[in-house]
Amino acid sequence: MKLLHCPMNGTRPISEFVFGGEFRDMPDPEASTDKEWAAYVHNRNGAPGLKKEWWYHGPSGTWFIAERNTLTEEVLRTYLFGQETAA
Amino acid sequence: MQMISKPTPIAYALKDISPKMGLLNGMDVVMSFGDDVTESKNRQLLGICDVSCLSRFAIKGPSAAQWLELNKIKIPPTANSWNQQKSGALVLRLGNSEFLIEDQPEGKLCAALNVADRKALTGLYKVERSDVALLLSGSQVLSLLSELCTLDLREKALGENALVMTQVAGISATIIRQSLNNEPVYRLWCDGTYGAFMWDTMLEIAVEHGGGAVGLSSHYKL
Repeated sequence: MKLLHCPMNGTRPISEFVFGGEFRDMPDPEASTDKEWAAYVHNRNGAPGLKKEWWYHGPSGTWFIAERNTLTEEVLRTYLFGQETAA
Repeated sequence: MQMISKPTPIAYALKDISPKMGLLNGMDVVMSFGDDVTESKNRQLLGICDVSCLSRFAIKGPSAAQWLELNKIKIPPTANSWNQQKSGALVLRLGNSEFLIEDQPEGKLCAALNVADRKALTGLYKVERSDVALLLSGSQVLSLLSELCTLDLREKALGENALVMTQVAGISATIIRQSLNNEPVYRLWCDGTYGAFMWDTMLEIAVEHGGGAVGLSSHYKL
């Protein structure tokens, strides 16, 4: 059974989680060029490697960030958004 | 004027049997499924009781903890924990800023909180709940839970005032372990729309273990 650690609820089976997509820093909509904004909205990096991702723990409704190597499936750490330094 | 009662979320699962019904907090609820001997046997072996009729109040937001304390509620200190007020009401802390409160059958706390002033603080959001609430009892209760849930819910794994939000029979649910009438019981809450499914699933397993459904009067003096 695959497991994932929720920063609020502890380690749970992966079936309790939903993948929420890659976490990417949003460029400033006021300051970015059309090209930068279009790249943010439409383009994704599919190359395997270390990614920051949104994950959702369904039973508790907790969104959090997981740093996961999509090549090896290793999850380095998980933390609540905005609490990266505390993780 | 005719009084209209709410059906319990498991009403659909009860349509083919004829239990002794009662009315509590405006909801039709099963008081007993059979004679006292059978009810007592089921309760002690593996009993499933529908307690959806108990009053509940839920609130969330950055000021929720402060507001509850202003209303003289002793709140659990950390997320995923619960406590019991002097009135017997349960206070469940579902997150850093979300709370669920459930009264005992005769309790008035939820009714008082429903009408308490919420305008003094900002960041308060009342949450409408429509749970199916179950009470699981008996010596074989862990056999039932181990068939439906991946977590270890034994006493030594689930702390005295710990609360877990996990999946039971594939449904998101909140579980605690408490003592009721000096007997350890498990409490489970999940979305009411899954009530009939959860009831049928649990009852099938309970019957396999020699237990069954029990009514509200098995656990509470009404």
